[in-house]
Amino acid sequence: MRQPALTVGIIANPASGRDLRRLTANAGLYSSTDKASAVQRLLAAFAATGIEQVLLPPDMTGIAAAVLRASLGPHAEQQRWPQLTILDMPLRQTVEDTRHAARLMAAQGVALIAVLGGDGTHKAVAAEVGDIPLLTLSTGTNNAFPELREATSAGLAGGLFASGRVPAPIGLRHNKRLVVRVPEQQLCEWALVDVAVSPQRFIGARAISRGEDLAEVFTTFAEPHAIGLSALCGLWCPVSRTAPEGAWIRLHPQAEQALLAPLAPGLLQGCGVTASGLLIPGVAYSLSLSSGTLALDGEREIEFSERDQPSICLDAFGPLSIDVEAVLAYAAHHRLLAVGREHPQHPANQPC
Amino acid sequence: MSTHLSTEQLLHAYEVMRTIRAFEERLHVEFATGEIPGFVHLYAGEEASAAGVMAHLRDSDCIASNHRGHGHCIAKGVDVYGMMAEIYGKKTGVCGGKGGSMHIADLEKGMLGANGIVGAGAPLVAGAALAAKIKGTDDVAVVFFGDGGSNEGAVFEAMNLASIMNLPCIFVAENNGYAEATASNWSVACDHIADRAAGFGMPGVTIDGYDFFAVHEAAGAAIERARSGQGPSLIEVKLTRYYGHFEGDAQTYRAPDEVKNLRETRDCLMQFRQRSTRAGLLSAEQLDQIDARVEDLIEDSVRRAKSDPKPDPAALLSDVYVSYP
Repeated sequence: MRQPALTVGIIANPASGRDLRRLTANAGLYSSTDKASAVQRLLAAFAATGIEQVLLPPDMTGIAAAVLRASLGPHAEQQRWPQLTILDMPLRQTVEDTRHAARLMAAQGVALIAVLGGDGTHKAVAAEVGDIPLLTLSTGTNNAFPELREATSAGLAGGLFASGRVPAPIGLRHNKRLVVRVPEQQLCEWALVDVAVSPQRFIGARAISRGEDLAEVFTTFAEPHAIGLSALCGLWCPVSRTAPEGAWIRLHPQAEQALLAPLAPGLLQGCGVTASGLLIPGVAYSLSLSSGTLALDGEREIEFSERDQPSICLDAFGPLSIDVEAVLAYAAHHRLLAVGREHPQHPANQPC
Repeated sequence: MSTHLSTEQLLHAYEVMRTIRAFEERLHVEFATGEIPGFVHLYAGEEASAAGVMAHLRDSDCIASNHRGHGHCIAKGVDVYGMMAEIYGKKTGVCGGKGGSMHIADLEKGMLGANGIVGAGAPLVAGAALAAKIKGTDDVAVVFFGDGGSNEGAVFEAMNLASIMNLPCIFVAENNGYAEATASNWSVACDHIADRAAGFGMPGVTIDGYDFFAVHEAAGAAIERARSGQGPSLIEVKLTRYYGHFEGDAQTYRAPDEVKNLRETRDCLMQFRQRSTRAGLLSAEQLDQIDARVEDLIEDSVRRAKSDPKPDPAALLSDVYVSYP
């Protein structure tokens, strides 16, 4: 009996990389044309590693349409792209589209989901897909969770893992998460990198670009080379991705000590530091402000007032993700991409 | 840039949005009676855009609008009764009743005019911004155009000029999804109108136009940037219009429940009321008082406009050209 096709999903957020930080900082643009090209590079790598079917959500900005057009062209034929299936789903042009696509992919049993977006996009997918691993690609503004990486090499790693040629203990990374609860608003949300507490009363344009708009930052991990809000902890009290703890930092403009940190690309802000420490897993932390907004993975999403009691708790139950470097190192060691004489892409079989 | 809003500023923002909504919904009713000459294009649903941008402007800053201009006029401070009389074609209108809905202008308020030509406001504000730069003021100029206007050559030329001359100019693309009956996701070749900014060497952002606070913050950053000599920028405000392209448009190109769903879930006035009262910054009573005051204003404006005289036939050729001393 024919086994079900080896299927993976690709979610490219058409809205990522377009927020206020293009005005307040010097953040760049990642257009939908660029995202469609990155998806095509993924498809080439998936084709080379035995993926048979790829699920792609529709969108209103032409990413799926461009990929579909390309799938009918000569490159797709030469490279033997996987069968491309566009999900049948309505579009609201909100983050719900990302969540809906992730749920549909999970229901169809995909082996992994490649995500093109920022920290926020990855968070939205992660919350819907349980233990399906994510192949993370950065196309947002301040990205800490997805690393900057070329889609082709990431696609090779994803394809090798999804096709069962790399053991899970080597290829999979377990990630931490921050769970944000606001019981009075029946809210329970995730963050994969950071939760910032801001005295700003409204979500507004979402991004935070000024030190005085920050009162506290909680992070799952904080690397010194990070850009964005986690850089505050990364440059003051760093914590690795693999450590069980997280980090927190408390800020005030009048503090004695101050830190210069890159809150956004090209935007270095001096931030007064009053205290910092390790976040202990399983402990629910309350906030130092009684009203304001909570930014999850860099974007203000929750408004809270005196009537709310938000809490933040670190745990180890974040998403699984593909460790691209580890997979490709394993692939090199075991010559997983070696091709035999019979392989159509062996140079001896190429037309002169 | 401070994004803090005082109680007075919050109340003013709500009053502006509520006035626009009440003005447009009343026109929706009155236009059906046949008493209003010409066409009207209603702004209901888009109020957060006009209110969020104009909250940062003063009378000496110029704006240019488009055919859907009532909201921009009200938010810029043009007299509401004078606008109603203008739309009714009465002598007491802000342009003497000879302009009508698509030509409302009030230069003392920095309102260079609504405009029946799609995209034609952009070169006007480039000129106003150039004047401000030459005079050495820190005034800015803002143009509002739609997703249809974003495809016009005049807009591209103005963006290019503003960029090479580093003019204090803000281009606000109000993307309501339809150029008349043509969907923008079909007719706009790039994926986001904001992305076009990159081609003209200026920053571009996309903002939720249902959220006054989002528009206010983004517009504040762009306007501060322009005032401080850092040049032009493009803001794409994504929103919807509740009524047709013009009054009488049956809107057969929209899904049956599209507007109803957006009104129920995203409406800018509803969001503003819920969020500002929940935050404890405003009370429902304060907002109710504004609602009542606005209803009285609109009722009074319509009553007076209807009974006002029409312009004299002898005035037909006056006001066509500016008279120079």
